[in-house]
Amino acid sequence: MLTYVARRIIQAIPVVFLIAVVSFFLMQQAPGGPQLAFNQNHHITTAQIDSWLKSWCLERDPGVVGTIREFAGWLGVWNCTGGGLLSAHGLPNFLPAALGGGTNGLLHGDFGFSIASGQPVLSEILNRVPATLILMGVSWVIWVTMAILIGVLAAVKRYSVWDQATTFFSYIFYSLPTFWLGLILIFIFGVALRWFPVQGIVDTRAAPAPFATDAYWAALAKDPIPNLFDIGRHLVLPVITLVAVSIAADSRFVRSAMLDSLSQDYVRTARAKGAVERSVIFRHAFRNALLPILTNVALELAFLFSGAIVTETVFTWPGMGRLYFDAVNARDYFLVMGILFIGSILVVIMNLVADVLYAWADPRIRY
Amino acid sequence: MTVQEATVPEGQFEEVHSPGVPPPPDVLLEVRNLRTHFHVMDGTVPAVDGVSFSVRRGETLGVVGESGCGKSVTALTIMRLLEIPPAEIVAGEIWFDGREILSLPEDQMRRLRGSAMSMIFQEPMTSLNPVLTVGEQIAEAVIIHRKASHKEAEARALEMLKAVGIPAPERRLRQYPHELSGGMRQRVMIALALSCDPKLLVADEPTTALDVTIQAQILDLIARLQRDTGASLLLITHDLGVVAEVVQRVVVMYAGKVVEQGSVKEILESPKHPYTKGLLASIPSRGKRGDRLNVIKGTVPNPFRMPVGCRFNPRCPYAFEPCAGHEPPLDQTGPDRAVACWLYTKPPVGAEHQASQRAKADADGSAA
Amino acid sequence: MTSRDDPAPPGSTVFVTGQGTMPVDIAAPADVAAADVEVALESLGQWQLAWRRFKRHRMALFGLAFLAFAVLVAIIGPIVWPYDPLIIPGVSGTNPGGDSPSLAHLMGTDNNGRDVLQMVVNGARISMTIGITSMLIAGFVGITVGTLAGYFGGWVDNVLMRVVDTFFAIPLLFVILVAAAFFGEGKVISLVLIFGLLSWPLIARLIRAQFLSLREVDFVEAARAVGVSDLRIAFRDILPNAIGPIIVAMTLIMANNIILEAFVSYLNFGISADQISWGNALAQSQNYLVFGNWWWAFFPGIAIALTVIAINFIGDGLRDALDPRTRL
Repeated sequence: MLTYVARRIIQAIPVVFLIAVVSFFLMQQAPGGPQLAFNQNHHITTAQIDSWLKSWCLERDPGVVGTIREFAGWLGVWNCTGGGLLSAHGLPNFLPAALGGGTNGLLHGDFGFSIASGQPVLSEILNRVPATLILMGVSWVIWVTMAILIGVLAAVKRYSVWDQATTFFSYIFYSLPTFWLGLILIFIFGVALRWFPVQGIVDTRAAPAPFATDAYWAALAKDPIPNLFDIGRHLVLPVITLVAVSIAADSRFVRSAMLDSLSQDYVRTARAKGAVERSVIFRHAFRNALLPILTNVALELAFLFSGAIVTETVFTWPGMGRLYFDAVNARDYFLVMGILFIGSILVVIMNLVADVLYAWADPRIRY
Repeated sequence: MTVQEATVPEGQFEEVHSPGVPPPPDVLLEVRNLRTHFHVMDGTVPAVDGVSFSVRRGETLGVVGESGCGKSVTALTIMRLLEIPPAEIVAGEIWFDGREILSLPEDQMRRLRGSAMSMIFQEPMTSLNPVLTVGEQIAEAVIIHRKASHKEAEARALEMLKAVGIPAPERRLRQYPHELSGGMRQRVMIALALSCDPKLLVADEPTTALDVTIQAQILDLIARLQRDTGASLLLITHDLGVVAEVVQRVVVMYAGKVVEQGSVKEILESPKHPYTKGLLASIPSRGKRGDRLNVIKGTVPNPFRMPVGCRFNPRCPYAFEPCAGHEPPLDQTGPDRAVACWLYTKPPVGAEHQASQRAKADADGSAA
Repeated sequence: MTSRDDPAPPGSTVFVTGQGTMPVDIAAPADVAAADVEVALESLGQWQLAWRRFKRHRMALFGLAFLAFAVLVAIIGPIVWPYDPLIIPGVSGTNPGGDSPSLAHLMGTDNNGRDVLQMVVNGARISMTIGITSMLIAGFVGITVGTLAGYFGGWVDNVLMRVVDTFFAIPLLFVILVAAAFFGEGKVISLVLIFGLLSWPLIARLIRAQFLSLREVDFVEAARAVGVSDLRIAFRDILPNAIGPIIVAMTLIMANNIILEAFVSYLNFGISADQISWGNALAQSQNYLVFGNWWWAFFPGIAIALTVIAINFIGDGLRDALDPRTRL
């Protein structure tokens, strides 16, 4: 098992590298280029810009070789403070700092600075992680349980009213633009009925402190019920928006996986040995349908991440998606690159988890 | 169809009893005038269309026919394993061990399946659950029907694996189906089917998917276990060679109907129905190397457009006037022997060519 | 029905697969064998057959009718009822969010008094253009890359598939957002290219999978054995077999890209404000929802949703129609 996981990780390395290349060159080719974005901030002097550019291996007019050098610097292979491929300790720069390597670039966990806030990209992102985790976690649980419940029931009661109704509604919901569904929910439940708040993760006037600050966590620990309730209220509409389309798509997936499984010979064998229907459905059919579902469930986390950007922009949710939107809007290049890279790594990890889960659950796969 | 209903008076064939009357106690299974149809997108397929036969206790009955003749559907109907819809049991009765089982509530039927009657399927590769171990799958039946503990059930599974001749049964018990060969898996299926000492074992083409070298072993195993346990065996096959080795009586099916039945000796040595003759002639025989292999001309009829009259008539070399117009009834021609063919039954009209046709048929039959 | 008396057209191969081991009887004209049905259907041609299957799908027919209607609106709508986003009629009522639907404005107006129905009718053109053309680009690139990978195999396949993997790993919405914001410049052609060039990997993967599964299939082996060149095999034998899943995938891409256009335009990263698309039509509506003007957000969105439902129905119908396993 360990060697299997190791092999899959090694296979993922070129993909991760390509992701870094794509993220970087996307930003490089963007009109204006990263360096020019500094110019928009008039609190910063030319000297400061030059020193920043230098520390980031950025050049004002890089050319092809210069661009590759910039990329190497962002990746952490190139030492921007003059060492070239070697670190200050005279060892290859890509080595971990503890082994005498450099400290700059992705390889050393350094994503650069946000141009807009001056904060390190990593701390900007980490600040937004809790809100996104809450949104994604709750959505994921609801999504998966609902999809499995609806799908299994539709498959077991094939052609019933329930099956036809879920088929119909899943078609409708599957075709809805997510952001538009969000707008409609905002109007119905936020404006017309006033049941749920329509933006943010906490009520800014009632909250003891701004969300995700140390003061807020302290207040949450001291007085959890009203604060969690507040978050819960804010979660309702974004979560519905985020999961509606996906439940529609996935309940179809679960249904067809389940139908496929139910039509297999071994299900007939189970019936032939006199197993009760519940056992036929769950022990035999669902256990097998679980294999494709399991893969899908892990991959879904990656899709959720994409979906989060839609929901978070519509509902001004203070998560990574909203941060990304703001960063694109402000041409905050390092931040955009950082989120793009981390998001992609997340997807790669999810793919990996899906593969490993599959291998673990299916006795036929040898690893 | 309506013609057939009109021409077969109830009780014409000895073993078919009046509806609602149980068969004699020595008959374990009796199928009466069974009709199983499939409703599909393009119409209705009369897969089984008025089939009757019976299996006595401890007896081995072979059901023979080409693929698509309805023999597997008959077996699945007996086990009540068909999905309804698309299948529909239009008419008929099935008496098993003194009870009419088509009208049993599903829960009681479930208690019979796997205990009093069990089934071996054609495809050992796909009939076992890939995510459960062999031991778990055999033990499951024992747990269901004998209310056994997991430990007892596992002991029984081990015992069954030994009985079906699987080497290193302790190890195999914990293996998954994909770790076993096709022959081994079929042995597991047999162990599973016999784990609760059934009175009736239905084997649907149990050797078709296997290597030729394995086929004989599996067949011998089934026959031996059937003898040892005293169970009745309903063996479904397209292979008359298999029939000759194992069974006592044979039912020949064509296009959803029984066309001939009798003891295995009678059927193999003096077949009456032209279709049975064709089937026998198409077995390659070692003695006649280099001879042209005889095959029945034509194909199985399109189920949506069944030929009018005798369903075999478009392919039948002896077809004459009544065949295309009237369906022949299954008429008894001797003790335990019946055939559905106008050559042996007085046709309602146009019988003038019968004598010459029959002479031709008999001449061919003796030659075969 | 083809009867035996009609000779097969010269040069054509009619495969008559007898059921079981028995060859087809020549002397049974009354008997209609299943194989004959297949032969008859064969003579209908693959596309006629597909159309016959498609027609049975009622929802797919509805989808096709609706999509045809939407395309028609996209073509003639802007001609008979032109719309200029730069003209501001002014609000007639007292609602700062625009007038609610009335006989004069069936779908109400926006905050500047523009007719929402007019926006929807005119917006159809850009939304449909982007959906259709980006789908064609994705199809072209995807088929090319997939064929190259499947045909050459080896390191070409390896490199191309790592690229495809990368596309699948990057959250595409993030890339599209940044690409639309940075390279889109509000132009239709840029967005078409961005959506098209980012949505082909699915098709490439489908084609390659088809290559892998068909490479060893009998008829390809047979073609190879009689000396047909690999490239001809690729284009004559393998591609037509992959066409079903590809067309279905393309309908999905079209539907998806129509939604994507609306989303990036809603975020003001898409089509510039001096043009009208369905996304642009509702872009500013969220700020005015508090005034209760649901119609402004609702109608452009419903236009998108109905079009996407229609396309998905068509895709579903095509899936059944082009799947050779589906029975007639």
